[in-house]
Amino acid sequence: MAEWNVYFQNEDDGEAQEEGEEPGGDYRVTGRDCLVLLVDASKEMFIKEEDGETTNFDMTMQVVRSVYTRKIISSPGDLVALVFYGTKQSQDPTKSFKHVYVYHNLSELGAKRVQQVDALQGEKGALLAAETMGSDETSLCDALWCCANLFRDCKLRLGHKRLLIFTCTDQPHGGDSVKDRQARTQASDLRESGVVIELMHLMKAGGFDVSLFFRDVISPPEDESELGLQQEPCEKLADLQRRVRAKEQKKRTMAKLNLCLGEGVNVAVGMYALAVNARKPGAIRLYRESNEPVRSKSRTFHTETGSLLLPSEIKKAQVYGNKQIVMEKDEVDAIKKFDDPGLFLIGFKAMEELKLHHHIRPAVFLYPAEGEVKGSSCLFSALLTKCVERNVFALCRCISRRNYPPRFVALVPQEEKLDEGKVQTTPPGFNVIYLPYADDLRNLDPPQTPYASPTQVDKMREIVHKLRFKYRSDAFENPVLQQYYRNLEALALDMMAPDDIEDLIMPKVDQIDLRLGPLVQEFKDLVYPADYNPDTKSAAKRRAAGAGGTAEKKPKVEVSEDELRAHIQKGTLGKMTVALLKEACKQFGIRTTGTKKQELMDALVDKLAT
Amino acid sequence: MSRSKSFHVLCMDVGLSMSNSAPGEDSPFELSKQVIQKFVQRQVFAEVKDELALVLFGTDSTNNPLAQDGRYQNITVHRNLMVPDFELLEEIENQVHPENQQADWLDALVVCMDLLQTGIKGKRYDQLNIYFLSDLGVEANSEELDVIVENLKQVDITLQFFLPFSAEEESVDEAGDAGRGGPGARGSGKGLSREQKIGLEMVKHIMLSLDEQDGLDQIYTFRNAIEGLCMFKSTERRPMAWPCQLTIGSALSIRIVGYKAVTEEKLKKTWLTVDALSHKRDHIKKETVYCLDDDNETEVQKDDLIQGFCYGSDIVPFSKVDQEQMKYKHDGKCFAVLGFTNQNLVPRHSFMGMQTIKIFAPGDDQHAGVALSALIRALDELKMVAIVRYAYDRRCNPQIGAAFPCIKLNYECLIYVQLPFMEDLRHFTYASLNCKKFSPSDTQLQAVDSLIDSMMLVDKDEDGNLKDLFKVHHIPNPAFQRLFQCLHHRAVNPGTALPPMEPWLVALLDRPDVIKERCGVPLDAVKKVFPLKVMEKKKPLKTSAEIFGKDSEQPHAKKAKGDSAEEDEGEEYNLADISEGSVTSVGSVNPARDFRILIKQKTLPFQGACEQLTHRIEQLLGNKNTQYYMKSITCIQAFRELSVKLGKADLYNSYLQLLKGSITNRGLEVFWDLLVQGSISLIGQDEVEGSSVSKNEAAQFLLADEKNEEPVATMADDADDVDDLLDNM
Repeated sequence: MAEWNVYFQNEDDGEAQEEGEEPGGDYRVTGRDCLVLLVDASKEMFIKEEDGETTNFDMTMQVVRSVYTRKIISSPGDLVALVFYGTKQSQDPTKSFKHVYVYHNLSELGAKRVQQVDALQGEKGALLAAETMGSDETSLCDALWCCANLFRDCKLRLGHKRLLIFTCTDQPHGGDSVKDRQARTQASDLRESGVVIELMHLMKAGGFDVSLFFRDVISPPEDESELGLQQEPCEKLADLQRRVRAKEQKKRTMAKLNLCLGEGVNVAVGMYALAVNARKPGAIRLYRESNEPVRSKSRTFHTETGSLLLPSEIKKAQVYGNKQIVMEKDEVDAIKKFDDPGLFLIGFKAMEELKLHHHIRPAVFLYPAEGEVKGSSCLFSALLTKCVERNVFALCRCISRRNYPPRFVALVPQEEKLDEGKVQTTPPGFNVIYLPYADDLRNLDPPQTPYASPTQVDKMREIVHKLRFKYRSDAFENPVLQQYYRNLEALALDMMAPDDIEDLIMPKVDQIDLRLGPLVQEFKDLVYPADYNPDTKSAAKRRAAGAGGTAEKKPKVEVSEDELRAHIQKGTLGKMTVALLKEACKQFGIRTTGTKKQELMDALVDKLAT
Repeated sequence: MSRSKSFHVLCMDVGLSMSNSAPGEDSPFELSKQVIQKFVQRQVFAEVKDELALVLFGTDSTNNPLAQDGRYQNITVHRNLMVPDFELLEEIENQVHPENQQADWLDALVVCMDLLQTGIKGKRYDQLNIYFLSDLGVEANSEELDVIVENLKQVDITLQFFLPFSAEEESVDEAGDAGRGGPGARGSGKGLSREQKIGLEMVKHIMLSLDEQDGLDQIYTFRNAIEGLCMFKSTERRPMAWPCQLTIGSALSIRIVGYKAVTEEKLKKTWLTVDALSHKRDHIKKETVYCLDDDNETEVQKDDLIQGFCYGSDIVPFSKVDQEQMKYKHDGKCFAVLGFTNQNLVPRHSFMGMQTIKIFAPGDDQHAGVALSALIRALDELKMVAIVRYAYDRRCNPQIGAAFPCIKLNYECLIYVQLPFMEDLRHFTYASLNCKKFSPSDTQLQAVDSLIDSMMLVDKDEDGNLKDLFKVHHIPNPAFQRLFQCLHHRAVNPGTALPPMEPWLVALLDRPDVIKERCGVPLDAVKKVFPLKVMEKKKPLKTSAEIFGKDSEQPHAKKAKGDSAEEDEGEEYNLADISEGSVTSVGSVNPARDFRILIKQKTLPFQGACEQLTHRIEQLLGNKNTQYYMKSITCIQAFRELSVKLGKADLYNSYLQLLKGSITNRGLEVFWDLLVQGSISLIGQDEVEGSSVSKNEAAQFLLADEKNEEPVATMADDADDVDDLLDNM
């Protein structure tokens, strides 16, 4: 979603943008990113697993659709193509390949394409697909050649180029070594021209052996790591989704910086935003008559002479203490400049020193940039290992961009973690936590309220225990965005009514109530007086004023139901004070008209005896 | 929101004795002037509505409302109570000078009190303060001392004294607690004059009568005051309460109040754009017009515009009404628990948003307090957090977030932070760092370990208490400090360049001195064991040219291509030596270049130059460091190239053979590998006719020690293989 901000930058943000928060991606746009989805459509892809209900092809199409919709949302400028190979019918712009079907040529995505992908899904889709596809003849060489043509013939300037192959056949040519070799050569040509080829291999009976053929087709894993090939084929849709999502986008740095440990010791690092607030894109302006987008031009002119003003004829000013203070524009920039961009190590602190509430903006991620300074990875790795081992973080002064004032950050070490499928779940590197300055902390005057007793805490513990779940950061969709895109999709695809969205951040009240059962009432009995209603503020106020002037009186806690019953049984109710008895009455919802001790005692005995 | 304001009177001694100072030290006058400057600056930039007056005493002239019949002489009310502005700052800068009279400081105090009392008539006020700066150099008439104290008490005026010396030395036993004067205190009791001693006693008397316990704490030294005032106080914001209910299911709700606790503070003011000549804002207008994206750039009226949104390449017109109708709607304010989860599942780096909110129970609702306390304590005991749906109000988008328990000595609360939505996350994978290539050796790990040891910022002091040397949250935002400094400078000294950053600010942002000292040695060690080489920008590591330098690409190929390229390089060196001055020997900075120049200029015979060069190479190799190896390689390349050019292969060949013989003894295997990778071999007969080495021998020369079965023999001719080998490095 790096493109988000770039693409939809609000025009009228003006000055606010200058000062404003760092947007997620800061890179020079050098061309459009391309993604070609090359999908095996040979017969094997349409075989239903014994237990499974979907074919590999169907699963792939679901993923393709989600790639489409996700791209539309996150990076609408990207170019995407969908090509099938191993098909009966053939179709490509040059009409020179057999068994290759260019379903979507390399271009921007739109509503229509999503619909067309939909057409290949489900029962109907399977039928259609089976008609046009599912041949025995496969030539990956032709398919790759065709893809190469797509890249070549694209008139736009291309940036990062990616090719994802979806297949469940580890030997597409059935061991035909000539065809294998041709395909390898074609693949290597593609790779040479800067295309990254990734394999999304799917499960099939007998397993998928990457080493048989595909190892020589796909690009070597990024950064020459040893990670990659050991991946198991995808069995589940979710796995495939995840793997595709990890691969479909190029990692982009927000900045490449030097992490300076001291004079002359500079480690090159890339700064990455792994979480950026996704927002609804801004609207674009259209001409009413033709629905075509308009461009805006702004110009600055002198109100008296009417002449356009050059930048040199403009200065900046602020007013303080009845005085306008004027500066040149460069001076305004110069004031903001403290140093060149970079991270400068101040020292280390134990992890406990990092305060939970010292949070002012989302963290970013640091990973060494070996390509900038050779040897960075080694020193970075040593630093990471030692920081993890000693449970410390590095405190740095950070200037993330030119003319940005410094902020202090905590570099929190993070070890690499893999899941059972050897897929990386957390990458190795440092999380950069931005720390607040004195100005950023607000002085609060915490209200003084009484503390809970152990009995009350225990009851709440039961409640908490009943409602525990495993939080995952990617489990909650943003209902606002989802709704927006559903609507937009509906309008764009001419659907009658948008799909309903499930608001995942709505509490499931019924389930919660069911799980808690009587616990809620029990807890309330322990902490609230009988007639306490949190909804009515005034009542609460009166209560508080009337009942809880002094600290001793505050909680009626002391009189639990059990205690009362014990008193009644032993006939020691009279030992309680009038005030406590009154509270007890309230607690059990007994309306008492009298205030005499005996009346209260009688009422309680009546109530609890039944 | 009308807050009652405070009234301040600054009362400064400008009399004769204030100018006395030891040589090399700022006079009390200078210091106290700085104090009031900083104080006024702070008031101006904080934009508080407090009023401020400035009274000077010891002035040559007299100007105050009480002056009558020769009383209250030499006291001047420089500025009566009003909101301070830049004019006042300019006046202080330019008009407040040391003068030659002396005045009774108690009289001056009375004038200040009088100012306050008249000034506040009919106004609501919060606090009345008098800041009194003097060296107490003149004996004051103490007759009315008690009346004055009585008066101060009655009107409830807070009084603070700022003196050039510390009041503490002589009163240590009296007050008992140390640290008030601080280390910066100047001028001990010993150096005080008789007048000053009497004056100090009176000051103490006044302060103790006003506040028996802490009165003396309100006596400061100038130094302390300047340090304390250095930081511009940015506008204070009052926390806004956000009342809501925390709900768990449908049946349990707890009344709560949220306050923003931490958020990045921005300055309220932004830069205005003004005309460069008139400095007027109204003279500039920015206008935006809309036009179609056609050749004529046809302009379109604003009224003819409608809104649309992009769906990929499609544009969907979307009227405001549509938008409103289809908007996500919710019930408004909300703090609803979705469930509870373990704290370790909500890692610190997953926090989103720009703030943290502290959640309390309302102060007037004890029951809510108990209920919330139960939740906080339960969460704390279980090490869990509440995952909640949070919506500020109906207009704002709902968030998902976590509420952490927080238990402090004097209060308990929940701390709320936003968490990411699925759409916010980017799933990038990064190559593992646990691979052979990047794995640090034990020595390297050890070096980093010692570095961390030497740079721990939290340390135990002598008493075993933990002491944090670098508390970020105590540092004022340097951007604000710098901006105010520059604005102040520009306002008071128009037409001059902006000042450099103030030293205290620079120091505040740097490593503490103790750390700087401690980390020197470990840092050098790190530097030694971790070779770091800055790579050429832009081009990815691909060809040997980038490692071995442009001029050495492939000796063979180059020769074949003809000498034109080399001639060009020759030109370059000529230019270089003009600007660099003449070269008479092979230096250590750029030996290869020096060597080339020497040969080119024929300042030295070939053999002499070669001897100097090999001498340098030996020196460089003695360092055993990749950087020096690289330098040596360029030297050898230059040596080889020029030998070939001049047709004298023997010196080069014998040196290289010598070098090869000593590789194992000197532990230079790494260097040798570099030579091999660069295929820098002997000069064969194919290159220089007189060479005693055959082409084959030259090719075999590097191979001999190779253990790998790589096809090195062909390497010298085949550039691609070189690349492959390099990639394997």
